[in-house]
Amino acid sequence: MSSLFHLFRLWLIQLRYATTRELAFRANFFIWVIVELSWFVLQLAFVDVVYQHVDSIAGWSRPQMIVLVATNQLIQQIFTAFLMPGLVKLPESVRDGKLDFILLKPAPPQFLISTSHLEIGPLANALIAAVVVALALHDLHITPSLSTLLLYVVLILAGLLTHYALLLSLVSLTFWIVQAESVLLGYYSIFQVARLPREAATGWFRILFTFALPLLLVANIPASTLLRGFEPASLLLFLLTCLTAAIFASLFFQLGLRRYQSASS
Amino acid sequence: MIASFSALPTVFSIGLQRQLAYRWNYLLRALFSAMPLLVSWVFWGAVFEGKSTVGSYTLASLLTYYAVLLIVESVSSPADDDFQISREIREGTLNSILLRPLPYGLYRAALFLSGRCAYLVAAAIPVLLCFFLLSRVVPLELGSIDLARGIPAILGSALLQFSLTLCLSLTSFWLLDISALIFLVYSLEFLAGGHVFPLDLLPPVLFRFAQCLPFAYEYWFPTAALCGTLSPSAWLTGMAMQFGWALFFILVAQGMWKAGLRKYTAAGG
Repeated sequence: MSSLFHLFRLWLIQLRYATTRELAFRANFFIWVIVELSWFVLQLAFVDVVYQHVDSIAGWSRPQMIVLVATNQLIQQIFTAFLMPGLVKLPESVRDGKLDFILLKPAPPQFLISTSHLEIGPLANALIAAVVVALALHDLHITPSLSTLLLYVVLILAGLLTHYALLLSLVSLTFWIVQAESVLLGYYSIFQVARLPREAATGWFRILFTFALPLLLVANIPASTLLRGFEPASLLLFLLTCLTAAIFASLFFQLGLRRYQSASS
Repeated sequence: MIASFSALPTVFSIGLQRQLAYRWNYLLRALFSAMPLLVSWVFWGAVFEGKSTVGSYTLASLLTYYAVLLIVESVSSPADDDFQISREIREGTLNSILLRPLPYGLYRAALFLSGRCAYLVAAAIPVLLCFFLLSRVVPLELGSIDLARGIPAILGSALLQFSLTLCLSLTSFWLLDISALIFLVYSLEFLAGGHVFPLDLLPPVLFRFAQCLPFAYEYWFPTAALCGTLSPSAWLTGMAMQFGWALFFILVAQGMWKAGLRKYTAAGG
């Protein structure tokens, strides 16, 4: 328990340091808000274009689909703010040997790598995504109860864990492949699955992206909870699969770390 | 000048070797690039549930569009040329290139070409596998492929994308970090370029507007030309627009290069 508290304190210190560093480049903050917002607008424009030709996709109406896409954006932006910036720097740290400095510190390397950087811009976009969710719910005349909202927050955290597990696994490939910059492309490509309505997927695709890589659950389960209420079986499945994915990713990272050979002098 | 051109095959060869040294990175990139096709197959399959057409597309013709788009992208899209150029300017490694008797644009063009060749080698197997798997589920309309119109349009797209990349990268003479600018243009390319959906699914007014922008000629136009869905007059107009935009960006890049060099300070060895 005390070590957990120690890690929490360490995380707060890292956050404070990362925030100071981020605030040194204020213009950068606004530019990145616009960039990320443009990608979100792109997704909403896509939904709009498709729903000009159909009324429903796999049982999801247009406002319901907006709740799904915006929930996915909300999770992705929180992940981009807190965990992604540190993880994506791993390939370069391995290649130029700067990982040495992290390994020498008296804290778990996985924790230090994951929390070493912060981006504030995505938090503004997460807020915009939350507003879009609220507007779509208003459109549907749905007012979620407090318990539903609390459950939604827990499911968002589970979604974050899934994002984390996948990106950690991908960046850990860098211990085997010298130049692994394409893993970021891989992350964005694979997470397109999370925007799909779960009912649209069938056969091996649905099995693969539900049980092995629970991407079809990441945004679907929180969005469904808001729209259709609490489904215990789906919830349990999601929590179980995201925890398994996180444990596997951590083991894979540890395995890779054993291969690391310092590249510096 | 002739001596400059004779150096290009060497630059191409060095670029190819450099790219193939990281073949695993390329293979991963190619594998991941097939992912949007898979997602499109699932998503559009659900959209077409109980419908035979959406706009002017059937499910087969729409998936053919996405599959052909994958090839167009493999051949014509720069990988990380923009970030490489930006790094050369920012970190000053441009110094050593400036000393060479070779125009910088041509030097980068040879490297771009080598990058595309290396990518094609790595991407060939995953892309063919993807085609094979998809054609087992949906009968792709590969019979209507029009190579005579498609190949010039793909080459034009490569030229357009290279020249646009060059313009964006050369802003590094004035800006410290251009990654935000690059990602902003990426999002425009994806939406207005026909990467996310074929542009003719847009309402007519927006479709006509998109056709005035350069992005349509990066993905949508070459893909539609290769799919054989363009009329002869639409193809000719598209080719004129595509090369017109490419020429425009080449001229802008040339101007930026001259202005940038006046500002550039070479320091260190």
